[in-house]
Formats: sequence, structure tokens, C-alpha cells
Amino acid sequence: MTDTQSGDNPLSKKRHGYGIQTPGTRGVPGTKRYAMAIDLRKCIGCMSCVVACKSEFGTPLGVWRTWVKVADKGVYPNTRRVFMPRLCNHCDYPICVRNCPTQATFRHKDGFVLQRYNRCIGCRTCVVACPYNARHLVPAKRTDKNLPHLVVDKCTFCIHRVKRGVLPACVQACVGGARIFGDLNDPASEVSKIVSKERVTVLKPELGTSPSVFYIGGDWEIMDEPHSYENRSNQLKEEFNDFKRNHEGDAFGDIVEGESTMYHVAKNMTDFIASIPHKASDVLSAFKRLFFE
Amino acid sequence: MQESVITYNAFHHVAWGTPISIYFWLVGASAGSFVISSFGWVFGIKRYKPLALTASAQAIILLMIVPVLLIWDLGKPVRFIYLMLPGYWHSTGPMAWGTVLIFSYPISMIIYTIFVLKNNQIWAKAFGIVAIVLALSTHWYTGVVMELNPGRYMNHTALAPILFLTGAFISGIGLLILILWVQNMFVEAKKRIDWSLIEEMAQYMMYGIVFDCFLLFLEFMQTLYGNRSEILSHELLMGVFRFPYLWLEIIMGLLIPLFILVSPLKKERYGVILASFLVAIGVYGMRVWWVMGGQYMQSFY
Repeated sequence: MTDTQSGDNPLSKKRHGYGIQTPGTRGVPGTKRYAMAIDLRKCIGCMSCVVACKSEFGTPLGVWRTWVKVADKGVYPNTRRVFMPRLCNHCDYPICVRNCPTQATFRHKDGFVLQRYNRCIGCRTCVVACPYNARHLVPAKRTDKNLPHLVVDKCTFCIHRVKRGVLPACVQACVGGARIFGDLNDPASEVSKIVSKERVTVLKPELGTSPSVFYIGGDWEIMDEPHSYENRSNQLKEEFNDFKRNHEGDAFGDIVEGESTMYHVAKNMTDFIASIPHKASDVLSAFKRLFFE
Repeated sequence: MQESVITYNAFHHVAWGTPISIYFWLVGASAGSFVISSFGWVFGIKRYKPLALTASAQAIILLMIVPVLLIWDLGKPVRFIYLMLPGYWHSTGPMAWGTVLIFSYPISMIIYTIFVLKNNQIWAKAFGIVAIVLALSTHWYTGVVMELNPGRYMNHTALAPILFLTGAFISGIGLLILILWVQNMFVEAKKRIDWSLIEEMAQYMMYGIVFDCFLLFLEFMQTLYGNRSEILSHELLMGVFRFPYLWLEIIMGLLIPLFILVSPLKKERYGVILASFLVAIGVYGMRVWWVMGGQYMQSFY
């Protein structure tokens, strides 16, 4: 496989890490690099992967470890609906690992980019650093109180399953067989063969992060970020605004389009101040939660 | 061809919001006013000595709010201590360095202020030099922490720290002028700060505004050159950030004060006060769009 095929840059030739980041293992003999290939021609947008992931990890409402973006293109009768499953790209050179101030996130030697919840302080630097929006802060309210909350979470490529010889939940649930998972450094693995034979692409190759998620048959209109006002559909804008209006956690600064920014700055600050525990019982429970949970 | 319509997507939160933009503004104003405080004791401009205490007190008070704001904004506030423990500290994380700066800067500033109070020129100068380096570094780091996000292309520019430092300088002076004006109302006549000194500070502020305008011009030149950058400027100017970017920063924070400070209005006391007020709040507009803009634009991605 050549660098051009994978979207890598010469940086991937470097065999060193940054800080606690282990060196990239792509093509290094005797090492593993787990990777996923997603055949978008086979994806039917059933969202099984999203549901499987949610039930595997009990991911709370409003945040996702994997999600599927859906877009309609063209004008009737020449139209097509395209799907784009998204997840952490488990980069060989992850920016999030470099930016974490407490070494909470790290790159595993087999290619997984993982999060250590007991180290995470919830500063969200990695969320801002991730070019793929693959990280999120777990909300405070969770059904199971024993699960981590108010720390950053992300896709783990289901390392707990992979290490036991089981496929990741999303791969196992995929009805169309669109997701293929395996060791990219093993020439006999299915993913290695597919990435070698097919025309694959990665997201934002120009950043040199060397992602481990490869797409086959991607459509530029859905792979590129909808960064302009014109390219954002009205329906999506409305859904986005509803989501922002209704979700909890305004203190982290969400803005609703079409409403005054000053209003939202004031509202966010009010929420932020209101979220400070002011009753003795609240302070005690917050203290208890922070130290003992 | 009709644009594609995204019919479903996961929405992403803007991770750093209002508390972070307020923090950037506070650190900036603190660093800016400390620069003025050091004029007399570090750089030997004697006429600035009377206002050194007010300026460093302002710098200390503003910086005292910062840890409270930052620590409360963490998901796990008690774990802020991890940022200072050797087993956790991560040298490649800009925020790890920022923590060192945020905690060492006020300490050196307090020691400097104590020596200023004791009228000890030698030690005040020695600690003043340390504090001024830390003051500039603390605010430089806020630019760096935004800059080192290659994925947020709007923030990923080497111009960021300089833009932040210039904003810090002008907002610090603006706030200091307002505080000195209020202080002059309540102290006896012989302790009042000479108005000519404040006018001189306003002059420095004007130079800062001109430099800030130059930096913004550089940014405009790049953003109006097409492609993704043009979409960025369109989004900023016409989108949800129109108020903080166009009105608050450019018009209220830079152009109106610049007009006041180059016109005969600068001789008027209230002209200077108005310009200082507008600059101080205008820089907050820059902090808002700079922090949230880059994240907001990719919240659909």
C-alpha cells in the first residue's frame, strides 16, 4: 500500500511519538495496528451500529461514540441518499493525545487511542483539538451512577472485545457488512486486503494525523464539512437549534442560530452561576460525588 | 447542481464557551495593566510610579478570578490538582504549561507589589522583570492554546498569540484608565493621578489599536482571498458571530475608539473615558468569537 492511497503524508515515516504518544505502528513489522474500513456502497443507513454502540457502553442521550450522517443530494429524479458512519479515527499521530494536559488520553501500542477516566479532569482540550469531533464530555446525569460522568469519552474500537477475540459492537451489528475491522499490519487480514485493493480515502488527510478509519466509495458532499451557511440545510439548522435549546449544559457555551449572541452569553452565564451549588446539601453531595464516586 | 441536504447528523457541543472567553479577557486585562505597572519600577519611567500600585492591584484582582472560573469550568473541579502533579503533567499539552504560568505569575506579581509597597527599588525591579515575562507568557499561552488545534482551521494561525497580546495590552490600559478615573474621584487632590499621564496612556492605547487593526487587516487579507477562508469571514461577519465580531470588536472596540483618540475628542476627559470603556468591552467581543467561532463552525461536521 502506498502513502497516496491511504492519504498519509511523509510524517508517517517518522517512527517517534510525541510525549506519551507511542510511535505510529503503520507497516512496522512485529507490531499491530487495528483499523477499520467502511464500505459506504454497502451502508444502508439502518443505524444498527449506532444502537449497538449505545447499548454496549450505555452512552447517554445527546452524545455519540459513533453516528451516521445522512445527506440527500441531487434534484428529482436524479437523487441519491448517502450515508457516512463516523467514529474516532484512532490516528497514528493524534492531536488529542498531544494536547491533553494530564496524560489522560494515550495511544495504545496496537493503535487504539484510549481515555483514562481516572486521570481526566474534564478540561475538554482534547474535544477542541480533535479534528473529527469524535470526543464528547459525558453528561453529569447517567442512569448508571457507577459509570464515569463529567469526563471526556470516546470510541475505544471496543478494545475490551477485540482483546478477547470478538469484533467491535458496531462491526458485529452491521447488517450490510459495511464495516470491516482487523489488523492492518497483518497482510492476511481482511481489512489489510481491502485497504490494499480498494480505492480508500480518509477524513482530512491534509492534517497528517494518519487515521485508522478508511472509507470506500465516499461522497465529497458528505465527507467535507458543511462549513458555510449556505450548505447547511434549514431542517438541520432547526434540529440543531432545538437540540441546543433543550439540552442540558448551557454553561459550556452553546449558541442558537438566529438568536442574539448577547442573549446567549447572558443565559449561559446565568446557567453557569446557577449551576454552582449554593445549598449546604448540594455542596455536600457535590463534594461526595467528586471525591468518592 | 443543487446543494446536498444533510438530513441527519449528530450535533456537537461547543466545548469551550463563555467561562473560557471571560477567562481570556481577564488574563489579558491583567497582563495589560501589569505592563503599565512595570513602566515605573522596571523600565525606570518615574512618572508612572504613582499608578504602579493601582495597576498591579488590578492585575492581581483580575487574575484571582481566573482560577475560580477555570476550576469550576472543569468537569472534575477537584482534579485540577492533577495539572500540577509530576506524574500527570504532560509536557506537550499547552494547558499544562498554562497552569504553571497561571500559578507562578500572580505569585511573582504579589512579591513585586510587596516590594513596591516597601519602596525597595532593587527587588521590585528584579521581581518586576520576572513578573512582566510571566505576564506576557500567560497571555501568550492563551493564544497558543487556541492556535495548537490544527483541526480548528480558524484558530490555527500563528497570528493568534500576537493578536491576543495586543488585545491584552489595549484592554488592560482601557480598564486601568477607567479605574484610575474612579480612583481620582475618591482620593484627596494631592494623591490624584495626573490627567496628562492618563492621556499618555490613552496614546499608547491608540498605538495598540492601530497595531490591532493592522493584524485584523492581515487576517482579512487572508480570509477574503477565497476558498474556505472566505466562507469563514462570511460566517463571522454575517452569521451568529456578527455581534461580537463586527459590532463589538471592530466597530465598538476598535474603530470608534480610534476615531476618538485621533480626533480633538482625545483632549476631552469623557472622550478618553468613553474610548477606554469601548476598548475594554470590545476586546471581550474578540475573545468570544475567537474561542467559540472555530468550534461552532464545525459543530455540524
